[in-house]
Parts: sequence; structure tokens; C-alpha cells
Amino acid sequence: MTEEGSIEAGRRRFNRWALAPSLIVLLVIAVVPALYLLTISLTPFQLVNPGSATDFSAPLRNYRLLPGDPRFVNSLWVQAKLSFWGVLFQVLLGMSLALLLHTRSRFVEFARTFFLIPMVLPPIVVAVIWKLIYTPDISPLYYAAGLLHWTMPSLTSSVDFALIAIIVADTWEWLPFTFLMVLAALQTIPEEYSEAALVDGANRLQIFFYVTLPFIAPVLVISAMFRLIDSVKAFPLIFLLTGGGPGSITEVTNYYAYLLAFDSGEIGYSSAVTVVMLLLVLAVSFGVMWIGRRREALT
Amino acid sequence: MIPTKPIQAASGVSRRRLLQAGAATFGAATFPLPAIAQTKPFAGVTLHGASFQHHFFTLLQNYIPEFEEQSGMKVDLQLSAFPVYNQQANLELSSGGSAFDFVNVTFFLAARWVAAGLLANLDEFTSDPNLTPAEWNPKDFVEGAQVPYCDAKGATYGYSWEGGAMVMGLSRMDLMEKKGLKIPRTFAELQQVCAGINGTDNVNGFVSFQLHHWCLPPYIQGFGGNVFRNPPADVMPTLNSPQAVEAVEFYANLLKNYAPRGVITYTEDQARQSLLTGRSNILIHSSSWITPTLMSDESKVKDTARIVRMPAGPVHDYPASNSQGLGIPKNAKNKKAAWEFIKWALSPEISMRLVKEHGHSSICRRSVIESEAYRRLNTVNGQDLGALYLEVLELPAKGENYMAYRTVKEFPIVGDVINKAVEQVVTGQLSGRDAMNAAQEQAVANLRRAGTPL
Repeated sequence: MTEEGSIEAGRRRFNRWALAPSLIVLLVIAVVPALYLLTISLTPFQLVNPGSATDFSAPLRNYRLLPGDPRFVNSLWVQAKLSFWGVLFQVLLGMSLALLLHTRSRFVEFARTFFLIPMVLPPIVVAVIWKLIYTPDISPLYYAAGLLHWTMPSLTSSVDFALIAIIVADTWEWLPFTFLMVLAALQTIPEEYSEAALVDGANRLQIFFYVTLPFIAPVLVISAMFRLIDSVKAFPLIFLLTGGGPGSITEVTNYYAYLLAFDSGEIGYSSAVTVVMLLLVLAVSFGVMWIGRRREALT
Repeated sequence: MIPTKPIQAASGVSRRRLLQAGAATFGAATFPLPAIAQTKPFAGVTLHGASFQHHFFTLLQNYIPEFEEQSGMKVDLQLSAFPVYNQQANLELSSGGSAFDFVNVTFFLAARWVAAGLLANLDEFTSDPNLTPAEWNPKDFVEGAQVPYCDAKGATYGYSWEGGAMVMGLSRMDLMEKKGLKIPRTFAELQQVCAGINGTDNVNGFVSFQLHHWCLPPYIQGFGGNVFRNPPADVMPTLNSPQAVEAVEFYANLLKNYAPRGVITYTEDQARQSLLTGRSNILIHSSSWITPTLMSDESKVKDTARIVRMPAGPVHDYPASNSQGLGIPKNAKNKKAAWEFIKWALSPEISMRLVKEHGHSSICRRSVIESEAYRRLNTVNGQDLGALYLEVLELPAKGENYMAYRTVKEFPIVGDVINKAVEQVVTGQLSGRDAMNAAQEQAVANLRRAGTPL
């Protein structure tokens, strides 16, 4: 082995040892529980029957039952609607806000900080804020509607508005994320490009579509993917605002898994639901990584 | 010599012996180590217990130092929010853990825990006169409140510390009198009173909350149906019986037409607040949620409120009741010490002190509920709330145990389905019949999935 090769091998060995502690922590806090979840999903484990945790006589039984469970299928559909509309609004509004606030002034800088508040609040606090807003007896929204002699329906218990109410609250909470990402991207665009376009006679709309948008498009895609993965975590809002109702109108998959595990005690079946959800999220995550790599390759 | 010896001894030793004896007496009084060993058999034991946060335990914590002083043990009582506690305790007991020496046996988990053999048989303690004196008297607990904690053979796995008797609170009797309406005694009259009051003075006729699996069954039973075919022996759900359909339509009609906007998302607190402020006229719920209408400083309707039995159905008059109990996990490390604590916490003396010193009324000892002190404290505006509480609480033990549906381990699975069905009917997603047909189908499927033979 040459001296250069030996140095390279030593460097690789060092890298492996340096990474080892992080990998061990990751293994303990992520991989082991995930494997346990997968194992339990292969059993009919019931809280009332502790022995069933080691019953592997029909390992795929839970997975075979899932497609025939209308609440599970409905929960996937509800999750899809919540994720699609939530992410769409967060990206569009976050981008619009970033474009509006992409100027230099003290007021705008203050406004930027102000807009970040919802994202840094604990999710349960966000849920409480929206609970107050959506409760007709105490809500300023309903009070204002009353002054205008308009009888607003109860949004969180209405078939037509319950999911929208959740989407609005979720958008309010996470819009700052896309706002921040897009704002950072906007700040990297050289001003000369816009100035050159202006000199060439382009109007503001044309500058946005032909100069700004191509620059921020990759960031928009990445933000959307991240938000898509995160949209599965709307649990506190649903738990506090609607309880998955009315009926199953806002019952997303993780809330259904929660009810199965902790209300009905069906840990095995709930784990199977969770594993399916995990696989879906993993698929989206791989999508994000693929887009990231493709972008790197293009640039 | 002989006669003088005692004299000598008496006289010779008298000062020294007297001093020694005095010192010994003083020492024994100051450092009574052997006495501690005898009267404090649990010295050095730390007892770990868990429950959900409840006023009872907040009050009990004031007295626990006295118990620790008497017994020598230290009590580590962990109190969590209701859902958190239930999840934690359920997991702990189901996994055969021994982290807790005593636990709250939540009403709806009682049957599961008893059936799965997760709790210690307390008869072994009560039947031993060395462990339980006769005055403690296990028979003193209201029988209806004890039903969930007994197995089919009659063995006891818990003793109730809290009773909940479903009663009806009316906040605006003044409005009702103005309109010539009387207290409703039947379901039909309940509907009439709700219709008569709703909208008057901005008052809603009725209010309820999101735990429909607690609120709906008395209507199902009132119309002659049940949640299961013949619980606990036969747990086939009967949610799509004509009586159950009639009940869900009746109850949904009250919520749709006479309750505040958004009532299906109301928590118990919101419903109580609506009654206490007079924004809603009728709330039917456990006595501990209703009695503040007459007794709480928060209440704005003390002078116009009444608390009575919930109306009877055309077939049955079955107001719901429940209780919370204290029990000992099968794998607890300090079972005897845990029993000592339960015995003390639920003793007639502590129960009476809770009543007298704190006005805490939802206890389950008959002798205390029937005492003069209890009656005096719980008679408001001429209404004997204690008598009403006892009357409802003991109903399930008289004749048919109609609350059996709620004590079977299958109930949580079916209860979840009931909640969904009521919401679907109230919001107009499905008719009563369709919702209950779907609920029946779902309940059967879920029970089969959970391995229940039907």
C-alpha cells in the first residue's frame, strides 16, 4: 500500500469512528423503537392480554385487515386532503408574504420577526389559541359576527368547515417556515438580474415569473416536501379542536392510531397503522432527497 | 436482714435507682425505638401510588402527613391528567409492572383489569381481622358503586372513593315557571321543556358534551334497549335495535335543536359553565358536575336552580352511575402497606372529615352519606342532594345491574363507535338508523378484530 493510500484509509477509519457515537444514538432512539413497532405490528397485542405481545401465529393479520377498515381508509384520505391544502396554502401564502416583506426598512424587519411567532409556539399552545377562536361562546370572531347580525356556524363541529378550520390553524402555525425559506432564497438573487430585466422593458409580473420564480423554485419544492412530511404531525390541533370529528371528518391516520392504542387498547393493530404511515412518510422523505440530489446534479 | 433488704435496697438505691429509672423513663419517652418498631410496622417503606388529578386527592394530600406519621411509611402519590393517567396505568399494569403499590381503578378500565387478573383480590385483606378491623366494614360502601370492582364470583378488587350519579340540573326555574313549565319527569316532557325554554332570554334549552358514550346509553335503556345484548355474559352489541335508533334520534334532536352552537365539541367544563352561568337550562351529568349549580361561588343561578332525577324513559328509568376505586396491582411490591393506605384513605373517619372540613360530598360510604352532618351540608334550598345521590348510586345494585354494559372490557371499543354515530346524526351526515347500522357493523368488526368471540 502506498503512503497516500494508507493516509486515505486512516482518514476513512477516523471518519467511521467519529460518526459512530451519532450512529449509536440514532440507532437507540430511532431504529430500535421503529423495529419494536414493526415487531409489535406483527402480533395481535391487546393491552388486556399481555401474552398476545408475543403471539406471532398470524404475523400479517393486521396488515390484511387494514384495507377493509373503513376508518383507516378514510383517515388516509383525510390526511391527504389536510396535507395537500395545508401545504398549498403555506407555500403560496409564505411566498407571497416573503415577496411583500423582501425590502429594507425597520418596520419590515420588525414585521418579519412578528410573523415568526406562530412557528416557535409549542403546538399545544397554538391549538389552545385556535380553540378560543373557534369556540362560539367566547370567541372574538363570533362576537364580531354577532355585531354584524351574522350567525356563524360552529366551525369545528360543522361537516363543511371542520377540516377547513384545521387547515387554517395549521397554515397559521407553519406559514412562517416557507416564509423564512423563501425570504432567504430571495436575498440570494443578485439585484442586477432584476435591474437588467427592467432595462429590457420587463414589467414586475414578468420579472417575477422569468427571474425570481426560477431562482426560488427549488426552495419552494423543498419547503413543500418538508411541510408535507411535517403535516402528518397535526395531532395537537385535531386532538384539541375536533377530536377527529364530527364523525370522522377530521380523523387523520395518526389520530386514529392513537384512538386504537389508547382508547381501545389495540396496540398490535395500531402499530400496523403506524407502520403504514411511517412507510408513506419515508416515501415522501426519499422524494425530498431525490429532488435535492437532482438539483445538485443540475447545478 | 431479709426484712431490711428491701428497705436497704429501697433506701440504698433509692436516689441512684430513682435517677436511673427517671432517666430510663425520660429516654423511653424521648427515644421510643422499641415502641416505633411495634406501632410503625411500615417504617422505612415508601409507598408508590398513582391516580388522575381529582379534588379528592388534593384534599387527601392534606391528611397524608398524619398517615405517614402514624404508619411510618412515606407516600409518593403521583397525580396526572385523566387521559395521561389512564394510558400510563393501563400500560404499566398490562405489562406486569410493579412501579405502583396502589392505583386508581378507573371505572371504564375496572372490568378489563379485573378480567385480566391485573389486580390483587382485596378480600384477602378484608377477611383477615389482623389486617382489617371490623369497624372498617367493607359492606358500608354503597353496593351500586362497588359493582365495577367485583368479579363474577363476588371477589372485590377495589373500593370506591368517588361516586358519580347521573342527575339533571335545571338552571332557570324562574323562566320555566313564567312559561308554566314543570320539571320534566319523562323523556317526552324533557323535549317539551327544552322546546319551551330554548331561545327565551338567550337561554339554550339543553346542553351536553362530547362524551356521548356516557350520555346516550340512559336514553337507549330508557326506550328499552341496551348497548350489549346481555352484559356481561353476552357482549354482542345491539346498537341498531329500534330502541337504540329511537334513542339516538331523540338525543340528537335535543343537541341539534336546543343546545348551543358547537355543542358536540363541548368538554364537560364548557357544559358545566354553560349551566352555571344560566346560558343553558338543562344539563344531565354526574352529580359532582351538577351540584356546583347550587353550591359553587361561581354559580350565577343559585337561586333559580334545581337538581333532580333525570327523566325516565317510556320503558325504563335508568340514570347512569359510576365510581372510581382504589386497588392494588397484582405485582405490587408493598401490598400490605398499600392496603394500609387504602384502608386509611377510605376509612369512615377520613370520609367524614372530608365531608365536614371540605364539603366533599361524592364519597361512597353509606354511613357517612346518611349521617346528619352530611345531610345538613348537602341540603340546599330545601333539596336533599345527598339523598338524591345515594338513590341513584345504589340503583344498579337493586334488581337488574343495568350499568353492566359499562363495566365490560369491550365497552371502550363500542363507546368510541357510539361517539362517532351521535356526531354523525347531530351534524346530519347520516340518519339515526343509518348511523346506528354503521355503528353496529363497525362495533362488531372492531370487537372481532380485538379477538372477542361474538
